[in-house]
Amino acid sequence: MNTLTIWWDAAADGPTNMAADEWLAAEAERRGSLLLRFYGWTETTISLGGFQKIDEARQIEAIRGVPLVRRPSGGGAIVHGSDLTYAAAVPKRHPWGASPQVFYDALHGAMVETLAEHGIRAWPHPADARSRHDESLFFCFDRRATGDLVMAGPASGTVSKIMGSAQRRLAGVVLQHGSLLLRGNTAVAGSARHPAVSDIVGGQSVPEETALSRAWGARIAHGLGVAVREEETPVVRGGDLGIEASSSRFRDDRWTARR
Amino acid sequence: MAADLKFAKTHEWVRPEADGVLTVGVSSYAVEALTDLVFMQLPAVGRKVKAGESFGEIESVKAVSDLYAPVSGEIVEVNAALPGNLETLGKDPYGDGWVVRIKADNPAEMDGLLDRAAYDSLVGSQPH
Repeated sequence: MNTLTIWWDAAADGPTNMAADEWLAAEAERRGSLLLRFYGWTETTISLGGFQKIDEARQIEAIRGVPLVRRPSGGGAIVHGSDLTYAAAVPKRHPWGASPQVFYDALHGAMVETLAEHGIRAWPHPADARSRHDESLFFCFDRRATGDLVMAGPASGTVSKIMGSAQRRLAGVVLQHGSLLLRGNTAVAGSARHPAVSDIVGGQSVPEETALSRAWGARIAHGLGVAVREEETPVVRGGDLGIEASSSRFRDDRWTARR
Repeated sequence: MAADLKFAKTHEWVRPEADGVLTVGVSSYAVEALTDLVFMQLPAVGRKVKAGESFGEIESVKAVSDLYAPVSGEIVEVNAALPGNLETLGKDPYGDGWVVRIKADNPAEMDGLLDRAAYDSLVGSQPH
């Protein structure tokens, strides 16, 4: 448990990324330590929460034609492509694995500190504030749950969600993946377009993705009192890891259209 | 909580009934940890499950969690009212909040489960 291992993965399609996240969870259980993966998307993709209805997605004009993948975790839909996407996995016996909120707070809290280093003020949506758990809100970034990261703006007096995460709690391990809306995605518009950090800070420069994720990883490791180890081989190109074979489940309509 | 309950490390409870069927539910500890349940998926009656195999899912605002079969056997009944009344899981987890009934292939598998004291010790050692 004395190392945080990080992958900066190659861009991949949705099913491959979901399969790689599941591999990460299995690997965290096998290694008995926290693992973190940053990854990109070969094209703009919508990830649906595990129980969202596919028909809802199909009725939203703003995302018509955009590829869909269903996550193993819950929550609302996310438009990927210009966001910073991560997956983290931790054994349940780890101090961060025992209950859901602890893991959210640990990673989101480290991001608050990381953004502050760049002069960007964000904070966790507080537990006593009104939450918007309404399942009718299709997009993750329209919902608010305790610990989601929010910022003031872009309009005066408004608050926007900039980071959300979701978990799948398996028998011995927790998979958490999430998204920091770093830049606006020009591939979508209307209800699918949410204020990104770049929209909110206006003329201020937005940190470069790899530098930000590296600084965030260092903060997370510091919080645990462990060292960072970077893995060079991309998970999604690991031919012997079985990612391609296991991605077939996420390509199958029986999974994608399960609801 | 009845003393005749056994528990899986994955937080399911099991109660042997007079007809030999096992009633299975989710411990109050696990329900409280999930908070704000929003969706539940139950298995089909007649499905065969192996011990440790996922037979259902619960979604809360925090996470999706699998429900694991504490023993191998056949699902002979599901609490069909539960997905529409998820608050029952929190209000009465060991009564009306039961989830499925399983006809066990090998009742001796119950011996591998935790008694209440051992389960309390397990969850007591886990940070909230």
